Amino acid sequence: MSEAIVELDGVTVAYRERRVLVDVSLAIGAGERVALIGPNGAGKSTLLAVVSGLLRPIEGQVYLTGEPVDALDRLTVARRMAVVPGTANLPFATRVEEVVALGRLPHEDPFRGARPADRAAIAAAIERVGVGHLVGRDARELSLGERQLVLIAMAVAQATPVLILDEPTVHLDLRHQVGAMELLVDLNERDGTTVIAVLHDLALAAHFFGRLILLDHGRVVADGSAANVLTPARIRDVFGVDPSFVHLPMAVG
Amino acid sequence: MSPLSAPAHRRAPARRRAPTAGLAALPSFLLVILVACTGASSSVAPSPSSLAVASPTAVPTAAPTSAPTPTPVPAFPVTLTDDDGNSVRLAAQPRKIVSLTPATTEILFALGAGPRVIATTDFDDYPPAAVALPDVASYTAVDVEKIVGLGADLVIAGGNFFNPPEAIAQLRTLGIPVIVVYAPNIAGVLKDITLIGAAVGLPDAAAGMTATMQAGFDAVSTATAGLPRPRTFYELDTSTGTIYTVADRSFSAEMVTLAGAAPITTGSPTDYAISLEKLIKADPELILLGDAAYGVTAGQVKSRPGWKVMTAVKTDAIRAVNDQIITRPGPRLVEGLRALALAIHPDLALPAAVPIPPMP
Amino acid sequence: MATHGETLVTARPRVVRSRGLRDRPVLLVGLGVVALVVALVLGVGVGSVAIEPGDTLKILANRFLGLDMPRTWTDATETIVVDLRLPRVLTAMLVGCALAVAGATFQGLLRNPLADPYVLGTASGAALGAAIAVLIPVRLVFLEFGLIQGFAFIGALGAITAVYKLSRIGGLSPLTSLLLTGYAVGSLLAAGLAMAMYLSGAALRQIFNYLLGSFDAATWPRFLATLPIILIASIAIMLRARSLNGLLLGEHTAAHLGIDVRRERRILLALASLVTAAAVAISGLIGFVGLVVPHVVRLLVGPSARLVLPLSAIGGAALLAYADIIARVAGGIPVGVVTAIIGAPFFLLILRRARTGYEV
Repeated sequence: MSEAIVELDGVTVAYRERRVLVDVSLAIGAGERVALIGPNGAGKSTLLAVVSGLLRPIEGQVYLTGEPVDALDRLTVARRMAVVPGTANLPFATRVEEVVALGRLPHEDPFRGARPADRAAIAAAIERVGVGHLVGRDARELSLGERQLVLIAMAVAQATPVLILDEPTVHLDLRHQVGAMELLVDLNERDGTTVIAVLHDLALAAHFFGRLILLDHGRVVADGSAANVLTPARIRDVFGVDPSFVHLPMAVG
Repeated sequence: MSPLSAPAHRRAPARRRAPTAGLAALPSFLLVILVACTGASSSVAPSPSSLAVASPTAVPTAAPTSAPTPTPVPAFPVTLTDDDGNSVRLAAQPRKIVSLTPATTEILFALGAGPRVIATTDFDDYPPAAVALPDVASYTAVDVEKIVGLGADLVIAGGNFFNPPEAIAQLRTLGIPVIVVYAPNIAGVLKDITLIGAAVGLPDAAAGMTATMQAGFDAVSTATAGLPRPRTFYELDTSTGTIYTVADRSFSAEMVTLAGAAPITTGSPTDYAISLEKLIKADPELILLGDAAYGVTAGQVKSRPGWKVMTAVKTDAIRAVNDQIITRPGPRLVEGLRALALAIHPDLALPAAVPIPPMP
Repeated sequence: MATHGETLVTARPRVVRSRGLRDRPVLLVGLGVVALVVALVLGVGVGSVAIEPGDTLKILANRFLGLDMPRTWTDATETIVVDLRLPRVLTAMLVGCALAVAGATFQGLLRNPLADPYVLGTASGAALGAAIAVLIPVRLVFLEFGLIQGFAFIGALGAITAVYKLSRIGGLSPLTSLLLTGYAVGSLLAAGLAMAMYLSGAALRQIFNYLLGSFDAATWPRFLATLPIILIASIAIMLRARSLNGLLLGEHTAAHLGIDVRRERRILLALASLVTAAAVAISGLIGFVGLVVPHVVRLLVGPSARLVLPLSAIGGAALLAYADIIARVAGGIPVGVVTAIIGAPFFLLILRRARTGYEV
């Protein structure tokens, strides 16, 4: 792979004296499609937070496109990394296209707002994610699955090299889960977007992601293809269940 | 005492009320607004400054000396100092006077300036001619625009927040002379009458009126000089459950004292409420119902729980008085004092009353 | 991708909203400006003194456009139009603009549709400041601005500074902490206000008049003193519309969209507080404008702050100008009552017609 677009070097994150991430080092190359998996409390969301610069590690350093994240201002980070929020809590009625338009905030003119290029990006994102039929609707009225796609569209409109998602399939039924995953694969393969997704569904992770990073108690326990990471022994040790519960399809390369 | 003695809303004519806390409780503030201030808050009361009449810049032209009674020519322009300490310059004799307190209206009419009064408040009630005049002030606000529209050349307002100070300031900014009057005691009333007289160009009428009134006050105090002074409770209001009476060193307390009684006061110059316990301990020998005009009767008083231990209730010494003439700092004050004295000492022999000039 | 296109069609039919107003905010701006001009003319032509409409226009043309007009009006009329009514209408517009902009900002900052400019203690702080000013036995007029206005301004800013500083203590999320602290500090200050009102005596009415909010005391100096504060701060907020938009989905998402949340929150809070403090200093506490106007604007043009802020400014100015006209025509009722009477039912109506409820 090419040089690392996101890199963690010995990162330790503590939350009220409890170490949530311990000495995590990993490198994700540009164009990779990576799933972060692990049991509850393993530190997956924390890892995303520190990658996107919301949390500061007490030890170690996070690098985004080769530069330390904490040295970058938020605007620069936002132009390189888009994070799809888990939920959309909107205080006011907001139309779908207005939510998607928020993705252009890092790019648009601070005073004059969206320019034609921004508007084109918004339309393209809507088209790409396939939420065109929802345009004009209040985002708060949508089903969870629709809302999730709208949020993904917002991140797509942000047009960043890195796309981060934190459990994007939590509220979705199977059909929507598959749809979202296929979208991610499409973004990754067609646009070259680096996709990093936290997933709780091992089957989805194994099927759609070539590289899995397994976290447990704040440490990286395994990092590689699904076959290498999700061995029966690991499933038993890390997830605490009989490996026969987990029926993994053959991983996609 | 504040010149405010307008017939207050029946609900709460007394001034002291502990408002319910909480800014959000607007309805309770609407109740609070109905609090009428019958007493003064001496903590914020400016001391009535002495009346200073600067030497008029124009030499009064004398009437022909052959006339048997030389007509005194009013001296204008004149600069007067009002009760707030402001210097007010009057360029000419005012022809369009606005009165913003009922007491002032009565004074103006008694002095003979009635025809020149063009507007009063909407709670003026005496003399009858004044009631018909246009209203430019309510209990809470002054209609500055209307005053300007009427072309007033003199406004007389009440101090101690009787009229909103904002309105007074606004009128002055617009070039209309405003004289603020405020009488915390009886002497202050006479000073105000003199001040108003000078302002409207009737100093002699004012001097005559004050002399008559002073004589009237003196007559009462002479008549009551050696008499026993009953402990007197002057009831302002009890309709809301709190008992309101005269505060220490207030106008009303002075009136009661001058009328030959020993007033039971609240114990504070700024608080008008007294607890029932304290009142019972003070044990009034006489109860004067200042709220008789609102329908309070002796019978009601006697039936109030806890009141029957008072000497006044036991001896049925509960009498109604006309609060208005007792507390309004105007020309009818002598009448009020006499009525008060007679209520306290029913067998009092007073010399015949000298009438204040008849009001149209 | 074939799959996700059809998997995501829901049963609900697509709602086709009229795209008219949202795409033509300029039209709304134009309508707003027209409404303001009409309000100006009406506001200056209407009052307790009847003035010929023609005269009103002539006076305005004469004074402000320098046109030579045959003088068919009196000095008093000109004073009324230019020195009383005009600053009053302009002040109402300025305050309305300030409250609406502040309300929109607080709603966006706190992500709470029920927020208004007073939610973080500014109202209680201003009221307490005004009450203290009334109680101080000093008559201080600074640039004709007045002690009440100055203290109210300081009180409002002091309150929100205290709220902000106190809200940083503790582990609650910043927004929750702000709201709760605002409530606590507001209640404390309201208690202080109640105490001040209890001690106020005759000044109670003046404090209460301030609480009700009015434009009776609107003067040119006050208007000109607060104009730059409110205008500059409002424009500064509008220039930060992007930050407000970013906050729509929450603080984390805002950070991910490139907003420096802590800094922007501080700056927007400070600017909105400044605007609110200046507004309540000269007008007292007028409710509903800051709450309702931004919502109505959002229902017309969506939640983007780039449109909501300037349109709220215009809408708020118009609403309060008309409310003051109605208040005057209805006989001088407090303008806060009018805004409540207009605002509440209108708001309910809008809510019912809107397709979504306002659950947070």
